Amino acid sequence: MFYLITLLVYGAVDVIACLGLSQQFGVAGVTNFGFIIFQAAGAYVAASLALPSDTSNGGYQIYIGGLHLPFPMPLIGAALAGALLALPFTFLVGRRLRGDFAAIGLLVTAVLLNLLVTDYRPLFNGDAGVAQVPGPLQSGIFILSSTTYRWVFVAAVIVLAAGVYMFLRRITESPYGRTLRAMRDNDKVADSLGKNLVSLRTGVLVLGGAIAGLSGGVLVSFISVWSPAAWSYAETIVLFAAVIIGGAGNHRGAILGAILVPVGFEEVTRLITNSNPSLPPNLLPSLQWVAIGLLIVLFLWFRPQGVLPERKRLIAVPAPAPAAGQAGEPSAGPAASGHDGQGLLTRGEVARAREGASGAAGGDDILQAVGLSRDFGGVQAVSDVTFTVRRATLTGLIGPNGAGKSTLLALLAGTDRPSAGTILYNGQDITALPAFRRARMGLVRTFQLASEFKRLTVMENLLSAAPGNRGDSFRGAVAGRRYWRGDEAAAIARATDILRRFGLDKLANDYAGDLSGGQRRLVEIMRALMAEPDVLLLDEPMAGVHPELARRIGDTLVGLCREGLTILMVEHELAIMDEFCDPVIVMAEGSLLAEGTMAQLRERTEVVEAYLVG
Amino acid sequence: MSLFLASVGFGLITSAVLAIASVGFTLQFAVTDVLNLAFAAVMTAGAFVAYWVNQAGVSVWIGLAAAMAACSVLSVLLNLAVYAPFQRRGSSPITLVIVSLGMALIIEFGIQAVVGGVNVSYSMGQGRTFRAGGLVLTTVQIVIIAISVAVMAAVHVLLRYSRLGKAMRATAANRTLARNCGIRASRVITITWAITGGLCGLAGAVFAIDIGSFGPTSDDLFLILILAAVFLGGPGDAYGAMIGALVIGLGTEVSAAYIQPDYKYVIAFVALLAMLALRPTGLLGARARG
Repeated sequence: MFYLITLLVYGAVDVIACLGLSQQFGVAGVTNFGFIIFQAAGAYVAASLALPSDTSNGGYQIYIGGLHLPFPMPLIGAALAGALLALPFTFLVGRRLRGDFAAIGLLVTAVLLNLLVTDYRPLFNGDAGVAQVPGPLQSGIFILSSTTYRWVFVAAVIVLAAGVYMFLRRITESPYGRTLRAMRDNDKVADSLGKNLVSLRTGVLVLGGAIAGLSGGVLVSFISVWSPAAWSYAETIVLFAAVIIGGAGNHRGAILGAILVPVGFEEVTRLITNSNPSLPPNLLPSLQWVAIGLLIVLFLWFRPQGVLPERKRLIAVPAPAPAAGQAGEPSAGPAASGHDGQGLLTRGEVARAREGASGAAGGDDILQAVGLSRDFGGVQAVSDVTFTVRRATLTGLIGPNGAGKSTLLALLAGTDRPSAGTILYNGQDITALPAFRRARMGLVRTFQLASEFKRLTVMENLLSAAPGNRGDSFRGAVAGRRYWRGDEAAAIARATDILRRFGLDKLANDYAGDLSGGQRRLVEIMRALMAEPDVLLLDEPMAGVHPELARRIGDTLVGLCREGLTILMVEHELAIMDEFCDPVIVMAEGSLLAEGTMAQLRERTEVVEAYLVG
Repeated sequence: MSLFLASVGFGLITSAVLAIASVGFTLQFAVTDVLNLAFAAVMTAGAFVAYWVNQAGVSVWIGLAAAMAACSVLSVLLNLAVYAPFQRRGSSPITLVIVSLGMALIIEFGIQAVVGGVNVSYSMGQGRTFRAGGLVLTTVQIVIIAISVAVMAAVHVLLRYSRLGKAMRATAANRTLARNCGIRASRVITITWAITGGLCGLAGAVFAIDIGSFGPTSDDLFLILILAAVFLGGPGDAYGAMIGALVIGLGTEVSAAYIQPDYKYVIAFVALLAMLALRPTGLLGARARG
């Protein structure tokens, strides 16, 4: 009976820990190889808060703290400890560092912290660890027989695990959760759409850390001992195995994984050991680790989505307004329906209204580059480029391969930083602003390579870019659906408009990763429009797109410019430039070569030599 | 002063072993794009091969060669059977890191299942002892340092002056472009696994000889030192890894003389995290990758 109780508590604790890891790894794509240190911190802090001062125990164990606080203070402390421990790691998960490098940093931290706690006895009694940690309410408020007490404990932990599940589900299914999943699928793109990666990842580390800390606190209140052997870095791998096998990104999968892997393995090993006492003592634990390794590799190969894959989030597309008619039909192409996208450019219109009120201050120049340069280890990708983009134009940027067009676009959008020069947006110097801030000001870019959020539906891709959703923050997500459903409905309505305009509303609930190349380009443009840009920077939006579709995209863009949007578009196809862009900027070898209408450019020999002939 | 010099001696030995491993690890990453966390597990396999060959009464040199050959083959197989298929499928770098962690468990604990959990003693006659001031080195230690210097020189010649080295550098810089220039990238990658696997085996064997007593999990902590040296020098930069190994090796051992030896790895840890935070491209600030 005692064994069953222990198993249940361990199971529930593993479920809580796996849920925290699933939130970090499966939902937000933060690979925390140091997850176990957050659990350990929670356990130690809970122990330190619950234990009496170490002077009272005759000195057989030493530890800091010893505050002897009553339940539930140790558990609250445990969760807080896990959350606070996450803060120093913020620098590791920032924008600049590759995810795998950050994971290595966390792994190394986990190994070395374990080593330090093992060797430094004054902290938490070193290698031997702390023992005799009092459980909740064990100092006599409720006098329960030992078995009853344990069963109550089991029930409480299971309720706690269920609570953690409900809480995480609330967060994951909110607009904030969608933003986390978008960041998981492509962080650079999320950044360019106005998502603050550092703050999002910090939030994820803190929340996961709090959950891990809580699980540690619960565990130590039950088993009453905690030592470095309980939290070797390899324990993190077990939890990862559980989440991968159960299904990363699906919290039910995490629960299943927790039951299958850590709990199931212990059980099987125990059964085999009991039935074959003659086996060498080290064989089974070794084979257990081999099996964990095999399970990870085999699952990642054969079923990377896990036993319970991430669920598809279907969003009902509102029926079209009667006036719009024949939506989705190819003949009702974007050009034809150029005026049914009312509200598509809310911010653009506001900006223009503001402009009018202030007597057109700042003139027509919405975006200016002054002496912009970028060198990569001696190679000048962009050198001393100065130009101006006028409001409500569709400006083309053309040039041979390697001319620095994409680099220039990255500099303007903030994806990359210039080595020298200044960028002015609406007269304001934005050179030092990160990409997400520029996006929030209305300067939004797309990418040359496919950059859809693969495991989000088309609709979700669009919604993820909608600014100002009340549910798109941790607090908003916690406040619940009722708090944000108004904003969500508005965003869905706007996304539906855009989908209709581009004739893609039938595919709203398909995964973006399953679309054709041309459709994915459309998703990207639509998503950028959802971000309510004033200036749209497009990197070869029509590359690899069927000519017919390319024409439709072009017509739509021209229509959007008439409505007040400013577009700067990198393109290879001269025909497209001819048809849609005015003016056109020519780049070659990092420098600006010429600027003017296509007709003017054809007159100029150096331009023709550099590009138009070749 | 003699304490300092003695610790420098230890530091040089650690650096020598670490340099072989770190250069192998970093070249592997540069060319194949796999951050292979199973590296230390393969080292362990090499150590046991060298040990068994030695136990059978064959010379140490044959033992080292056997370890290199075994790890070379093991690394090539690891790539062909596991990493390359994942890469062909377009798995993300982080997936490959997790896979390599899985392979590390399989290899490391597979060895433990075979040999048992106890350490074996791989001590050999240390030969004459050489002293210079407080610096004390045994013949074996001097040989290890000499091997390491020779390996560094060989890697330098390979990278700078051979066709293969140029192909490796080109593949590391841009695999697609290298392929378009007529470099058979997949062959270069396989050869890289063979070479770096050999370095890994050599490092495993000399590490075991150096520490004298080793077991299946002895290399776990050494992996941390490798990672610290590699990241200090900039991931993918062979010369950076050499410098990194020297800094980490000397740093850990010299600090051990002045603080408690238990905490000597703190230096490596701080170095690694500081580099990740401040200069993810390494001391030499080589090309930014991805």
